[in-house]
Parts: sequence; structure tokens; C-alpha cells
Amino acid sequence: MSAAVSGDTILEQRGVQRALDAFVVAAAFSRDGKTVAFVLGNGTVRLVDLADKQNWRDVAAHDGAILSLAQDGGSSGFITGGDDGKFRRILADGTIADIFSAGSRWVEHVASFPGEKGKGLLSCSVGKLAHVFDDTGRKLKTLEHPSSVTGLVFDAKGKRVAASHYNGASIWFVAAKKDSPRKLEWKGSHIGIAMSPDGDAVMTAMQENSLHGWRLSDNQHMRMSGYPGKTLSLSFTKGGKWMATSGADSIVIWPFTGGGPMGKAPTELAGGDDITCTRVLCHPLQDAIAGGFADGLVVLADIGSARVLPIAKAGRGSVSALAWSADGTHLAFGTETGFAAIVDFTK
Amino acid sequence: MSDASKTNDQVPVTVLTGYLGAGKTTLLNRILTENHGQKYAVVINEFGELGIDNDLVVDTDEEVFEMNNGCICCTVRGDLIRIVGGLMKRQEKFDGIIIETTGLANPAPVAQTFFVDDNVRARTRLDAIVTVVDAKHLPARLQDSTEAAEQIAFADVIILNKTDLVTEDELVEVERLIRQINHFARIHRTMRSDVAITKVLNQGAFDLNRVLEAHPDFLADEAHEHNEDVTSMSFEVENPIDPERFNAWIGDLLAQKGQDLLRTKGILSYAGEDRRFAFQAVHMIADGDFIGPWKVDDERKSRLVFIGRNLNRPQLRRGFEACQAN
Repeated sequence: MSAAVSGDTILEQRGVQRALDAFVVAAAFSRDGKTVAFVLGNGTVRLVDLADKQNWRDVAAHDGAILSLAQDGGSSGFITGGDDGKFRRILADGTIADIFSAGSRWVEHVASFPGEKGKGLLSCSVGKLAHVFDDTGRKLKTLEHPSSVTGLVFDAKGKRVAASHYNGASIWFVAAKKDSPRKLEWKGSHIGIAMSPDGDAVMTAMQENSLHGWRLSDNQHMRMSGYPGKTLSLSFTKGGKWMATSGADSIVIWPFTGGGPMGKAPTELAGGDDITCTRVLCHPLQDAIAGGFADGLVVLADIGSARVLPIAKAGRGSVSALAWSADGTHLAFGTETGFAAIVDFTK
Repeated sequence: MSDASKTNDQVPVTVLTGYLGAGKTTLLNRILTENHGQKYAVVINEFGELGIDNDLVVDTDEEVFEMNNGCICCTVRGDLIRIVGGLMKRQEKFDGIIIETTGLANPAPVAQTFFVDDNVRARTRLDAIVTVVDAKHLPARLQDSTEAAEQIAFADVIILNKTDLVTEDELVEVERLIRQINHFARIHRTMRSDVAITKVLNQGAFDLNRVLEAHPDFLADEAHEHNEDVTSMSFEVENPIDPERFNAWIGDLLAQKGQDLLRTKGILSYAGEDRRFAFQAVHMIADGDFIGPWKVDDERKSRLVFIGRNLNRPQLRRGFEACQAN
């Protein structure tokens, strides 16, 4: 811990902040790094250009709560899913376009993979179905799962899309002519998913406050338990050496090197306050992790030195959203009670 | 309503069960179209002929999931966990959530969801299970299915509907059948599900005191008990309860007999404690909390109700009596 920096110093000196009037469901930076989006439980999006950080633009995007957010497949803009059954694209200028309508069903999860000139991929899940679209919004395929999709992710190359659900996860090749998934089976309710950067490890969060995983190259199972809370937030470091999780009173980090994580002890950072970590997100370039806690505390933890830098102090609501810019210079975060901020780490 | 302070932030949840054709949708329509000035979220499994005005309807597939917690009868509704999480993101706060189950649904998974999932528990509380039954067809349903009896066993409130299709004698007989299964639910006779919303929503049915108000004959012995049939039993002890003894006994009992014990609820007077302790369980999954002080003129008796199969009255009585503090 640095003695010179405490509480809100970073937020006050390097951040812009707003008290918004609704649950911050998610935050994201556009791929070109120019715009931040916060999506809220009242159906609106706040768009902030990093070049003009005092100007938070309010865009009415969904009729209900927005449930999910991702970067658009192209260089700018975002995709959102809502409980109004809409899968939408929000451009950086605030223009809204429908990609897909699911009728009375919720669009619970969205994911994307970047590509030049229409080569990007978009996906959204509605109940048991995951729909995959090209970047223009043309539907490529619909993938059906045995139960509702609870998490959706593209691998780092955009070749496969993986979904978690009851009794396991399914991995699909996007370009396959005939869709048949690789089924990863493990009894129980899987409620979130992440893939390692090399695409070999698929990790899921489970209803019973634990993690399950599959190493695809040798069909090894991984089981990590002992969490007091849900491990819904999972994040790999850039090189895939570590995976950080929420669900404990610290940021829990599992080593994915040297045969790990099985048989290895996790590292715990920023712990000791008996407050649950609700969100983790690894820095896009360095072995460092942003962590958000149920009391509103936001920290940046360095894995190598175990140093913890406080970014925002407790008291603004449970942290519900974290996002890094692709170059790692900016962190955006938000809370259930509507606090939102963007912190600039340059200089 | 002295107990309300604890639960102010928790949205009350009403579970609506009943066989297809019993009148569930009609009841739901009555609730939704009545001018009550409240805002509800209604979770249904298929869009029916609902007259929606001010309320939010969520369309879902019932997904019953087993938990990997070593408890064989512990199942939850995975879809409800996700839906409650989603609803809590919305800006407007709901006055209640109403969950309609399919006709053949066993009410246990939906009830257990509100015990098992921490996020759901933090934000909602199960207010009551309301079962709509068809006065004419109930006797036949009880013969040809186990779900009909379980839906009655789980109920806090029973809407005995379509009373215009049977004679008074038949009605008395149907009520007797219901009472044999569940001695403690409140029964409302209706035609076309015409019951006041105040008798369905916000019942606080897990507060046993309100059950007692409705049943001064709480401890009256039921006429007869068939082992395989679902039935209910109640017990009362005078002396304060030793929490450790009670936890050890009930924990053991639920672990061993949990599959047969559909619902267990009680209000306990703990030794040296001024607040009432409310205990409830669905199969093996139990929950308990202090719910506000005993009132000055309350009799500080501990009471426990079991609804289930193969209930052994002497054994249960001896077990409960042994939990009294010395």
C-alpha cells in the first residue's frame, strides 16, 4: 500500500465522475478507444468521448433495463441487449439501430469479435438460442442449447463462440457448415463463462459459488471451490498466465502456468475487509487487475508486487461495471446505485 | 406490521400454482386489471390472454435445476434466479413479483429458489404460495396425480374456485379433502376466481402468527392420517427453546426425512431472547431469522407445523419437546 495515495485521490485527481440515476449494468470502450459507454437499468446509455470528458451524452436506447453491452464489431460504437427483447447497435454519435428483435423474450447476453470492413462478428443470446451475425447485422446462424444461455464469449481469434448453460458449456465453430457443438459437460448450473487467450481453457462460474473448467487440449477438468459468493466475474490476464475472479473478500487469482491452476494455491489481493469482490477485470497489457467491491471500493492490484492502489473509496454502491480502454490508459467503472467514473492513468 | 421494517427493501413474491383450467389465468387477470395503484412484475411461461396495463410481464421457460450441494431434493428455478437479477437492474421498483407456474409444476423448486440463492434472498422474500383448485375436478386430480396434493400442501392460500359447479355438500367434501392435506392454508371460495386482491397478495404468510389468527384450532388433531398421503401436523411447547438443541434436531430431521417433509414452518421462543424466531423449510432447505419482538400480551409458546408424507406424530412431538431449554 502506498502511504501517499489513499481513498479518492486517484478519482479526484485523474477522474471524471457522475451520479447517474440508475443501476450501471455495464461499461465498455469502443475499439478505437475514443468513446466510453455506460448502460443503465433505466434503458439509457451514457456516451462519453475521451476527448471531451465533461460531456456525458444521454441516449434512450431500450424500453426497460439494458442487460448487456459489448463493443461493436467495427472500430466504433457498441452493441446492447435489453429486457425489451431488442438487440441494438449504438453508434458513437448516439444513433441507434436494431439488429434483431426477440419479441417478448429478454436479450440477456451479447458478445462481439472485431473485424475490418464487415468481417466482425456479433452475437446475442435469447433463452436457449445464441444468434450469430456478421458486422452488418446479417444473421449467420442460430445455435440452440439444451437450456438458457448464461454466458457468451468469442475466442481470441473469432473462430469459435462458447456458451455456458445448465450441465456445462457448448463450443461452436462460427464458420462450420453444419453446426454441431463440442459439448463440455459437468453436472450443475453454470452461470457465466470465460475463455483463456490461447483458447485452450474454458472456465465457468457455477451456482454453488465455485468454478469449473475444461482444458480442451487434453480434456482435463478443473474445479475450484471455497468461494463465499458467486464467481460471476472472470477475467484472464493478457498472456493468459492468470485468471482473476470475484466472489471472495479479495481479488482471487489462479495461476494458469506450470500445470495450474489444479493443485496450486490462488493468490489473494486487496483482501481483509470482509467485503465481497463483485467485479474483476485484468489490465489489457500488464499483469494487473482492477477490482470492484460490494461497498463501492475500486482498486488496481499489481500481481507481481501485490501492491494495491486505491482508485475510489467505499460508499457509492456495489461495483457492477468495469472496463479498460484497449491501451490500458483509462478505466471506467460504475455501481448499482448509479455512480459512474472514468479514470485516466496517462502522464 | 411491526415486522415490516426488516423486509422493506425486499420485494414480496407471490407464487401462483394450480392445475390447467383451475382458474389461474383468470385470477391473474383480476389481479392485473384491478385498480390497485401498484406495479407488479409477472413471470409467466407462455403469453396468454393477459390484460396488462401498468405491469411488466416476463416470458420464461421453467428451468428446474438440481443443486450440487449434496442434497438430493434441492432443486431451484434457474430462470427465476436470472429474472430476479434482471428485474433488480430496472429503475422502477416493483410492489411485488407474481410467478405463475405451469399446471403440473411441483411448487418445491420455485419455493426453494428463494431460500438457496443469496442474491435472490437479499432482494426478495417469498410472501405466499397461492394455489387455485377447481372444486369440481379436485377429487379426481388428487386420485390421478401427486402434483395436485403437493400444490395444496405447499399453499398458504387456496382459491377454491368454480364453486358454482358443485353442490354445497360437494363443496364441504372438497374442503375436507384440502384440510386433510393442509390444515393451515386459508381457503377462499370463489366463482370465476373472484377474490379480493388483498386476500392473495402481501399475505406475509410465512409469519405463523397470521396463520394462527386464521386458525384458533391450531392444535386440533386431524381426524385421520394415511401414511402415504400428504397431511399436516402442528406442535406447541410452553417452555423456551434451546437454539442449539433445536438446530441439531431439526437439521437431523430435515436431512433424514426432508424428501417427505414438503413444508415446515414455525415460530420459536428462544431462551433469553425477546424476539420471535421464524423458522421455515422446504424439503431439506431451511431458513430462519428473528422477526421482531414478542408483544406484551403474547403467549410465548413455540409452535411448529409440518406438512408432508409419513409424518410420525409421537416422534415429532418428542423431538420438539426435547428442544426445550432446561
